[in-house]
This record gives sequence, structure tokens and C-alpha cells, in this order.
Amino acid sequence: MKILVCIKQVPDMESRFRPNGEKTWYDEGDLAFRMNEYDEYAVEQAVQLKEQLGGEPEITVLSIGPDRTVEAIKKALAMGGDRAVHIRDDRYYQKDPWQIASMIASYAKGEGFDLIFTGMQSQDRGSAQVGVIVAELLGIACATTLVGFSYDGGTITAKRELEGGIKGVAKLKLPALVTCQLGLNTPRYPTLPNIMKAKKKEIASLTPAELSGEAELTATAAIYPPAKKGGGLVLEGEIGIQVDRLMGILKEKTAVLR
Amino acid sequence: MDFELSQDHKVLRDSVREFVEKEIKPIAMKIDEEHMIPDSLVNKMAEMGFLGSYFPEEYDGAGLDMLSYAIVVEEVSKACGSSGVLISAHTSLACGPIYTFGTEAQKKKWLPALNTGKVIGCFLLTEPDAGSDAGAISTTYRREGDEFVINGSKIFITNGGYRGTGVLFATSDKSLKHRGVSAFIIDLNSPGVEILKNENKLGIRGSYTTAFALDGVRIPAENLLGQEGQGFKIAMDTLNGGRIGIASQALGIAEGAFERALAYSKERKQFDHPICELQAVQFKLADMYTRIETSKLMTYKAACLKDAKKNYTAESAMCKMLASEAATYVTKEAIQIHGGYGFICDYEVERMFRDAKITEIYEGTNEVQRVVISKMLLS
Repeated sequence: MKILVCIKQVPDMESRFRPNGEKTWYDEGDLAFRMNEYDEYAVEQAVQLKEQLGGEPEITVLSIGPDRTVEAIKKALAMGGDRAVHIRDDRYYQKDPWQIASMIASYAKGEGFDLIFTGMQSQDRGSAQVGVIVAELLGIACATTLVGFSYDGGTITAKRELEGGIKGVAKLKLPALVTCQLGLNTPRYPTLPNIMKAKKKEIASLTPAELSGEAELTATAAIYPPAKKGGGLVLEGEIGIQVDRLMGILKEKTAVLR
Repeated sequence: MDFELSQDHKVLRDSVREFVEKEIKPIAMKIDEEHMIPDSLVNKMAEMGFLGSYFPEEYDGAGLDMLSYAIVVEEVSKACGSSGVLISAHTSLACGPIYTFGTEAQKKKWLPALNTGKVIGCFLLTEPDAGSDAGAISTTYRREGDEFVINGSKIFITNGGYRGTGVLFATSDKSLKHRGVSAFIIDLNSPGVEILKNENKLGIRGSYTTAFALDGVRIPAENLLGQEGQGFKIAMDTLNGGRIGIASQALGIAEGAFERALAYSKERKQFDHPICELQAVQFKLADMYTRIETSKLMTYKAACLKDAKKNYTAESAMCKMLASEAATYVTKEAIQIHGGYGFICDYEVERMFRDAKITEIYEGTNEVQRVVISKMLLS
């Protein structure tokens, strides 16, 4: 079995975010980077499947981005990936989900992957489109937002998270692509011996020019911080009245009391 | 000259940090209160490879380098100084001399269990009357057939309470001073090894500091480490490397306290403003951070020199001295920034303040470090 895991390196969400000079992305000078959280679930699930199948599947890790992306790739290799493909692209942030997915699909087409894992979305752009577009371009089955995964004899049973806390179960025949959601598993820590082993694993390097040259379908016009709002709504008056008003607001605006 | 960590070291640092955040930070206060690092944590650290970071894979080490080891001890110590010194004493002081001075047979016999944390290592040099004057030890050994027989006592043995594998120093004749000292590998479960007590201490309370009585302990002759009479050299060489571990521990303690002080200074409001807007606090933060960064540079430099197999004696003494003095300074100022809250246990900086002090004392007091540095200048 050949498995592909697509990962992205994203800013640590505790960083300080400021728009860059072009106002189309963040100023990366202030940012620390790490592997996209949902992609960690994807890597972990791939490694668990490899373990379930006695180590037979080969796991390829793919990531698109500048030189620093190698740090996320090495982490995925230390978690249990076998080899990696780094698509070196300093202007990755200007590409829309269609272009990113087209690059991945153009690489994956000739490789004959049986199963592709991606995160449900990236923590920075959050489009949640790349995985499904890749599946569509490759013409394979796809299930999104997995919170449960099992594999038996060529069939995946995918537990999906739907709206309002409802769960769904989908069965997919290989080849297939699944996107991974919080709750699917607990990603392992890369151990020191595995970090050492990862140093010896192959990281092939490709350029965007060697892959798809699709034009963008959506362009980012601007990014900006939201205007500062006032300090929210302060309830006043006698305590009973405050409670009634709070109950009313919770019923009307949220799902917590339904 | 490039002061950036390599991508591999960054991956390592981030992985260790993630582990520490989830597995150690939440229980650091409990470790201090209960004077005990839970076995479950020791096992998890062993699984992570923290107990054999820079030894080759053929002895079940992780095969990384000294800089990686320094980063591991630093990151662990940011949350828990006790756990940091467990790793440091085990790695530098027990695995280190066996790897450096052991025969191939000794390495194959002892290192795999140590590197994988199946047993915890310690270093038995200090005695009631031999601290900085390590050549004055009075624990004796004599040869009897295929064995050495050891008599004496040892105190202040970090990790001693685990009764694992020790590197023990004893003399054939006290009048020979340091020339009479030899080193042995000892299984601390051997008959005649008695734990007198585990000390109650100001800081690093989760770490064992053990006193042993050694009464007619028989060690197989094959456990002699190096040559007879080479023990003092082995001890000094070992402490040389160990200082990088202690510097990393001190650095981590300082960074842990600094992170908390910086965050608190932004949250705490007095006179309607966060206290970080007061220049009195800003100057403290600047002084704390400068001492941390200076210590880090010297610690990483010493580690890189050791990795490059260059002389690092002065640098390891300097980094140990700088980082330990940074740790006592930074933790003290971190309490001051926290005000009264810093003095109570809930804010953790008081624990870090207590943990910091020992780093100025063990693996060579800072006075001894100054002797080492000036010797290098004047020799």
C-alpha cells in the first residue's frame, strides 16, 4: 500500500499576527512556525495504519513552502513517515487552494497512492478545500472531517463529524482521500531516536515549475485586522433580571440551551 | 558565524518542548511537594530517549550530539529542575564516563540499560570530608582475587535512590592523594550497599540526593573503569562534560522563571496600567533576558566545542558559572516582579528560586569554576 500524507507548516497560533507590506499575507518576521494541528492527526493516522498492517505500507509526506517547511517535514518523518517530497515555493501564500491542490494532484497522479491523508483544514488560511479538490482531480473517493478511522480489507470506515454534534459513518473503497479532524487520535511525540532516524530519510525536492502551472481562481485582495469593537454587552440591574436576560440571549443566539 | 539552531535541532527542541508542556509542566509542583518524580514520568522520558541522547545507536542511545542533549536538559528544566538534573546526572556522570573510558565489553554490558532508562545512573565521588577536594576521598578498595572490595561512605549522590548503576571512586591508599584514586562501575543492588538516607533539601526536591554506606562491597575486577590510579582524571574529565548539563539545567530554570515573570508583568495591573509599563520592571526584564541569552550562547558554544572534539574545559566552566548565576539572579527577580504572589507557592517562581541555588554549588562550586578558568589563563 502506498500512502501520501499532505502537511502544511503554519504559524504558531500564539504568535503575534500583523499583515505584511503587500497586505495579502502575514508579516512572517514575528512568527514561530509548527506543523498544522490537523495535519498531525493525518500523520498519526497514517502511521497507525502502517503499524496495523505490520509496517508494509510506505508513507510519503508532502509539503509545499519555503526552506523552513523542512522542519515540519522532519517532524512528520520522526513520527513515522518513510520519505518526503518538499515542493519548494517561497510564494506559496499567494497561491489559492486550487493551485495548491493542482500541484499536489500533479505530483500524486503518477505515483499511484492508495490512500491520501490530509488535515481537515489549515490553521492559517482555513479554506478546507485542498483535500477535496485533490480527490476530485485524481477522481478518487473522499470523506472529510474524520473523527474515527478503521481499515479492513481495502475498505475504510470513516466516522465523520457533522453539524450540531451529529456523527456520520461513511465507507470508502481504496483509492481514497480522507481529511482529519480534532478528536481522531492523539499524535505521538517524535522521540529522540526517531528524530535521529529521520535525518537519514530521503527528502526529495521539487519546484512548482515541475508540477502544475494552473492559474489562480481566487486572489487575496487584502487581509487586515478587524476594527476594534467595544467591550461587549454588560448586563446590569437586579440579579434575577440579569439571569433572565442572559438565559434569553443564550437561547436566542447559541445552541447551549437547546 | 551562524548563531541559529540547525533545522534538526529546532525539530528536536520543538518536540521536547511539546512533551514537556503536556507531560511535565502540569505535575512540576506536585514533584516538588511530594519529593518524588513519578516512575511514570521517568518511563516516559526514557521512551522519549532523554536518557541516552548523545550516545551511539549501537549502545541503544539516540545517536544525537551534545548540543541536542543540552537542549533536552534546558527544555525539561524550564518546567522542572528536578527532572532536568535527573537527566543530567544520569547522562553526563554515569553514561558519560562509561562511554568515554569503558572497554568495548563494559560499554556493551552497561550502556544499553542506562541509555534506555531501564536503570538510572549516578556518580559516587563526594564524601563527608571530600567535596571540592575530591582527591581527599577515603573510601577504600583492595584487590581480593577476581574482585575489588570497597569500604567507605558517599554522600550527596544525585539519583542514588534509584539504586541503579553507579560510577564509584575509591582509593587504594589515602596518602597517595589523587594518584591513589580508581574508578569502578557498581551495581547499587550489590550486597553491602546501604542507603543511609535521601536528603531533605531547599530545592530540586523531586531529585534523590542520597547517602550510602559501602560495607565490604565486592565488585568484579572487570568493573574497573580505566586503569588503576586513573580515577581522579576520569572524575575531572567527567565533571568537565557534566558542567554543560548543569549549565543547561540552570539556563532552563532561568528561562522558566523569566517566561512567567514576563507574562505576569503584562497581566498584572497597578495604578491602572500593566506593571510592564513601569521602567523599574522593564529594566529588570532587560537584565534578566540579557543574562539568559549570554548564558545560552556560552552553553551552546561549550556543547558545540565538545561535539567538534575541541578543548572545552574553560567554556564548560564559564557556561556553568554564567548560567547558574543567571538562574539565581533571574529567579530572584522573577519573584520580585510577582510581588507577594511570587512568594507563595502557586505561582511556581518560588520553586524555581529554590531549585536555582544548587546549580551554583554542584558539579564544582562556582569558586572551583573560577579556579578552572584562571588556571587556563595562567598555564
